[in-house]
Amino acid sequence: MANADVVVLAEPGGIRAVRHRLREARLPWIPILILVALVVLGLGADVIAPYNPTKTDITIGGQNIIPPFQDWSHPLGTDKLGKDYLSRMIHGARTTLRVTAPAMAVAIIMGTLIGLVSGYAGRWVDSLLMRITDAVLGFPSLLVALLIVTLLGTGIWTVVMAVTATTWARFARMIRGEVLVNRERDFVILARITGVPPVLIIWRHIFPQTVNTLMVLTSLSIGQVILLEASLSFLGMGLKPGEPAWGIMVAEGRAHLIGGWWLALFPGIVITIVVMAFNFFGDWLRDYLDPKLRRAR
Amino acid sequence: MWAYILRRLCEGIITLIVLSFVVFGSVFLTGDVTTFLIPVSEDHDQKVYEAQKKAMGLDRPFIIQYGDFLGHALRLDFGNSFVIRQPVKDLLMERLSATVHLALAGLLLSVAFGVPLGILSAVKRDSAFDKITKAFAIFGMAAPQFWIAIMLILLFGAQLKLLPTFGRGEMEGWLPTLAQVPDMLYHLILPAFVLATSVTAAIMRLARSAMLEVLDTDYVKFAQVKGVHDRVVVWKHAARNALIPVLTFGGITMAGLLNGSVVVEVVFAWPGVGLLLFQAVTSRDYPMAEGAILLSGAAYIFTAILVDILYGYADPRIRVN
Repeated sequence: MANADVVVLAEPGGIRAVRHRLREARLPWIPILILVALVVLGLGADVIAPYNPTKTDITIGGQNIIPPFQDWSHPLGTDKLGKDYLSRMIHGARTTLRVTAPAMAVAIIMGTLIGLVSGYAGRWVDSLLMRITDAVLGFPSLLVALLIVTLLGTGIWTVVMAVTATTWARFARMIRGEVLVNRERDFVILARITGVPPVLIIWRHIFPQTVNTLMVLTSLSIGQVILLEASLSFLGMGLKPGEPAWGIMVAEGRAHLIGGWWLALFPGIVITIVVMAFNFFGDWLRDYLDPKLRRAR
Repeated sequence: MWAYILRRLCEGIITLIVLSFVVFGSVFLTGDVTTFLIPVSEDHDQKVYEAQKKAMGLDRPFIIQYGDFLGHALRLDFGNSFVIRQPVKDLLMERLSATVHLALAGLLLSVAFGVPLGILSAVKRDSAFDKITKAFAIFGMAAPQFWIAIMLILLFGAQLKLLPTFGRGEMEGWLPTLAQVPDMLYHLILPAFVLATSVTAAIMRLARSAMLEVLDTDYVKFAQVKGVHDRVVVWKHAARNALIPVLTFGGITMAGLLNGSVVVEVVFAWPGVGLLLFQAVTSRDYPMAEGAILLSGAAYIFTAILVDILYGYADPRIRVN
């Protein structure tokens, strides 16, 4: 029983413990709030947005355009066709999620599998897979994306594919490195000696060791992915013009710079803030999970 | 050293061949080019289709077609553009100078600002100057380039009417005449600045962290203790070694320049390869897109090799490995 007391002393239970650990972690609250807002607005866009983002209203104000912060039924104003801009911004969050989430998911799964196989198999499998990975890494991602768009035409799934095709390689490289470190550790060697099949060794013993790296790399990559998606949308390679995507909105605002300065300004600010939030969060996660990875600051 | 250069060159050529294979292979798999080349009125005619296919050599096996493509690609011959009906090679060569000018200007700007600012913010660590440059770096890496470009156009073009916001003026080809120089620089300011933002931010952060590490070494501390003037210690003793990692990442940041150049050229209507590639992609002009992608790819790969070779000179330890 004495042991139990010691445990209690070392780790006070209940809410206090949780609060203590949270304070120790120095959570980046502002980035987290921004990311939560992004997800909530994206998922609940239909309920939260006051208007339909693609519905035009030519009766507004007689001149079809309302500047922001003047008419509180349209807080962020409207665009040239009388579409409510706040609603378009909120639905833009959904578009960002719709492209980023599947692209990241596929890239993570594909990159992790290739990294695990490459690192564990070694020899020619490793050299072959890593040559391909290097070729993808060593090439500007926008060019790869444009090649895919040339072949498949524009559309949201083309953008997802393009983003995936340029993102998986980073995961493969990092995970392979982790596998190389972990495959020579005692518990893995013991598992091998006792005759555990390679698939199980990789899944049960090596993969769990790579999860930290995976999480850090994911949060650091999302910012890049959002920027690539926005660039492709801006270039008109994603959704159709008129649809609510932040990149498209900047492109449309470009045509109305005089007399509609906010049309290009607002979506750009939001993209910047979201990317910053992910970058800050990723930096924090890296420091929190693995102090060894900390860079000189 | 020569063995090292040779090895890097071979690797570069192999990457380029893989790239050409992927580009050609994916076009081969997804699109039947023949249908693009037949007049619409004869679209349904099977005989015309077969004849066109045979005339273009598109009925041959994949590998032979690829070999043919590669042979022509080595001479930069990608056939005629579907849209403009001129040889892709001529169109590319016409535009190359504009892209190279822009990339050089962008690189120059980002090194000229990134390196000294990074070094200074390491020396004046945690000062107000350090915090301001850090904020700029965070912003530069998160803000989309196309948006920065449009905001600058809004400010300097539409509102202040200070700077030209599209094209490269009366400039054509590689070298400006003396009279063209002011106009050329005038048109370069905005696009080069936008192209440089993210690269400047990256170089700045890199130079700063490398400099912090070097400032912590014994030889720098010894120089300081010995009474060498601060300026000499920073710029001569420390900066030289801090710049080695900056140089390595130079190759990687070049990717940023190439990525950015498509977007920047589109926004500023800069008549370069990036704009041509964009137009080719939107009109699904296969030969044009193949040519532009392979040319950009080759430029990227050989820049990276050049950087590696320079790095080999700067840091002899690299050559051994």
